[in-house]
Amino acid sequence: MSMRSQVYEWDAGRNTAAANANAGTRTSIFIGGIGNNITKPAETTATEFVVIEDIAVSPTLPLGIDGHAAGPVVTTDVRGLSYDPVQGTAGGRAFCQVRINTTDYFLDPDNVPNDGIPGTASPYPRSLNFQPSFNLYPDVYVLPGQVWDVLVTFYHAAGLLTTTGTSLAAGGVAATGQLQCFVKYTLYDGPDALIANKLLEMGISINPGNVDWYKRSLLASQA
Amino acid sequence: MSMRSQVYEWANLAPVGQTSTLRRTIADVPKALTANRELDLFIGGVGNNITKPAETTATQFIVIEDIACSPNLGGAMQIRINTTDYFQNPDVTDMLGIPGLASPYPRGANSSVALAAATPAAFQAGVIGNILKSFDLYPDVYVLPGQTFQILYTPRLATPAAADTATSTAVVSAFVKYTLYDGPDALIANKLLELGVTINPNNVDWYKRSLIEQQQRSASAASAAAAALANGGGQ
Repeated sequence: MSMRSQVYEWDAGRNTAAANANAGTRTSIFIGGIGNNITKPAETTATEFVVIEDIAVSPTLPLGIDGHAAGPVVTTDVRGLSYDPVQGTAGGRAFCQVRINTTDYFLDPDNVPNDGIPGTASPYPRSLNFQPSFNLYPDVYVLPGQVWDVLVTFYHAAGLLTTTGTSLAAGGVAATGQLQCFVKYTLYDGPDALIANKLLEMGISINPGNVDWYKRSLLASQA
Repeated sequence: MSMRSQVYEWANLAPVGQTSTLRRTIADVPKALTANRELDLFIGGVGNNITKPAETTATQFIVIEDIACSPNLGGAMQIRINTTDYFQNPDVTDMLGIPGLASPYPRGANSSVALAAATPAAFQAGVIGNILKSFDLYPDVYVLPGQTFQILYTPRLATPAAADTATSTAVVSAFVKYTLYDGPDALIANKLLELGVTINPNNVDWYKRSLIEQQQRSASAASAAAAALANGGGQ
């Protein structure tokens, strides 16, 4: 099993759940101290190569209408997301950024690191109401020996619900399922990591199909 | 990381007392939008902005792959490269660009959008219809090294009420997806442009591979020639 498809799902409502104080701050989904975490920072060993293929976070819906003026008054959930009229959006207004060592992957056009991919563009979970506008292509490569992280930022605590069903902005901690992040990656280990490095040198996209092609071409050249 | 997938999301949200902000905050509130006024998503002075106009350096090449905006308020998106608008009417006059109804953000956005009123009377929480995209930005839009580009959002309708006092909750957003080619990959992108080949990560990789193969062929031909010369010199 030297090429393995892997996923990591983070939920801000598990373990030490997110609170209002966490709004506006970046949180590592691996070791951020909020939600489910792992034991150490995510890193590749000298014989590992990771290709991050998808990242997604809980969506947000900008309503685009005046939800508490004359006419329709929106006071309840909208499409499964908690709505708050002050910020005019339903959901947590969450973003996710990929960091390799100390470098943020997603930048604004002025080359300043931004919050990353909005959940509105890459929602988790996907549904008829929330479909992705974003596809992580080209993939993100984590080379042997690098440390990587996925950072989630949410700005709308009033769009998240607590375990008692009230707004997170009013106190309490986030319920499960309110703010989640999802990462899909492929882990290449051992000989396949060496092949992945070779493909990188050759300028060939690293995916299981190309790794298999390289193995076949090696076998064919030996025959 | 010389080819990077990038996104930019704009919303008419900023802190109280400001019309725009460089960093999103937890205290953002909706900002008023004027009907039929073009707003530069990057430096338009409303919502989240960046520090300077979006431009490519001499070693950068940008390929814009998708634009989308909220279908509400009759919003539309236009791309401007230097001073030239990308989307035009058939009579080559200016237009607002791609409507949010054709390229909605998010995909599956509210279907009960009033096309003739800022506040749709039919809006209900939990509506089941969704707006899907009718438009695909293909071919992509290229921003060459040294060019300035703008993404313009224009609402046909103003927000229902003056904002900044939380009396209006009309939040709209816009989205741009692009790939940034930097350094050697930007040079390859330029070369592909000269060759008339579509610029995408696959083709950039293909060009790199062809360069490597060419070098390998040259090296093996040179060594074969050297061997032949040595053999001929011995006779």
